[in-house]
Amino acid sequence: MVEFNNISFNYSKQSGVYNIDLSINENEFCFLVGPTGSGKTSLLKLMYFDIIPSKGEIDILGFNSKKTKKKNVHKLRKKIGVIFQDYKLLQQRTVYENIALPLHINGIGRKKIKENVSEALKLTDLNDFQGKYPFQLSGGEQQRVCIARAIVKNPEIILADEPTGNLDPTAAHKILKILEQINKEGTSVVMATHNYKLIAEKDYRIIELKNGRLISG
Amino acid sequence: MIDQFAFLISEGFKIFFRNKLASFLCIITIFINFSILGFLFVIGFNTNSLIDFFRSKYTFEIFLENDTKSSSYESFIKELSTDEIISNIKLIDKEESAKIFEEEFGENVVEMLGYNPLPVSIKVFLSEKDFEFEKVDSLIFSIESIDFVDEIEYRGKYINQVEDRINLAIFIFLIFVIAIIFLSIQIISNTVKLSMSNRKDFIDILKYNGASRFFVKVPFYIESFLHSIFGGLLAFIFVKYLFTGFNSYFGVNVKLDEFLWIWIIGFSIFIGLYSSSQSMKRNLNE
Repeated sequence: MVEFNNISFNYSKQSGVYNIDLSINENEFCFLVGPTGSGKTSLLKLMYFDIIPSKGEIDILGFNSKKTKKKNVHKLRKKIGVIFQDYKLLQQRTVYENIALPLHINGIGRKKIKENVSEALKLTDLNDFQGKYPFQLSGGEQQRVCIARAIVKNPEIILADEPTGNLDPTAAHKILKILEQINKEGTSVVMATHNYKLIAEKDYRIIELKNGRLISG
Repeated sequence: MIDQFAFLISEGFKIFFRNKLASFLCIITIFINFSILGFLFVIGFNTNSLIDFFRSKYTFEIFLENDTKSSSYESFIKELSTDEIISNIKLIDKEESAKIFEEEFGENVVEMLGYNPLPVSIKVFLSEKDFEFEKVDSLIFSIESIDFVDEIEYRGKYINQVEDRINLAIFIFLIFVIAIIFLSIQIISNTVKLSMSNRKDFIDILKYNGASRFFVKVPFYIESFLHSIFGGLLAFIFVKYLFTGFNSYFGVNVKLDEFLWIWIIGFSIFIGLYSSSQSMKRNLNE
């Protein structure tokens, strides 16, 4: 599903990711761990082609980082759900409108949008919030909206960048539970985190990064 | 597909109405620029009529020596009428000259002097279509050398100067037009740039959720389209009523092209969309 072949990417001389060889399988749940600045976000960005490796190549869901033209990157992103630490929600749109956005992008009809959004709201326990605006919600609720938006289009893989980074332990556990549920339903999940306590009891694969290099996993 | 299109249209309107101040300023700028362009267009349109008017006055009059025999000038008139740059020739005999004199000065020259001193003259009307100053000059030069020709009255040089001035004015107008178009493009581009930077989050969210470049651009094109159509419409109304008022106040007849509204609104939309596409190309890193 995802193959990193000796990839490197540098922001500057001292930051980036270096010589990464990695593969992630279908329906896998894995944690991407490491201290701040270790390259977790870069690795995720490489997966949705927000940055392109300066060396090596990535194959993801049938798209190759060297062969895919810039104008076709959106086709890959339609198959990926991305969850951001800072949520990236549209503040002037309601929860419902935020979640429905990827479906509008995919050209889904109004009726189907209603059905899919309703399912996503149910899974993320946001039924009571659909008419509210993001600024009226807590951090944990906003992150659940972000997750609902990522899953509403039924992606093949979810890339979650520190989804619990700004949340209290209860909200963080709730988020992790939702991601596990999504994974159980057949979607691969890659979750970047530096919250070792949260994942300590989990029996999932852990990919560890340090200073932009793969330590284990 | 229809739902997607409806979504994009509604996004374009949302951007337009959410950015009220920028939209207002952009519309005002387009209005001012296209009012000037419309004004220049009307002037340019009427300049052609002005040139046609001057050209319709292109005549010269050949005054003959008093003792010229009718047989001489009749054959001369015949010869002249074959020239392609001449549209018509009118012979003004001594009696008609006296009548013209009386109309102009209120005196009967024959009664006053006891004889008619006025010469026979030939009024030559030049063709507007085939008019060329060089040809007229060479014709006049050749006529001057004829024995029975006393004098030629020709205002061609003044008319030539007037035409030169009109052409200079048109050239200056053109420079103005180009400058205004350039200015419009810059202003609209910058408005779109501002609009895009205000909505960087929106653009990023669209991109990360799989929106194509086209999908990202459409709402901004719609915003520009709305700016252009409102700005252009206001400019058309202004120019139309400006010249209508001018005509009725000064009792003149400045003509307005019946397709003026298409020129102004259509052109403002074209410039609006072109500027947006240029701005988006730069700002979406294409």
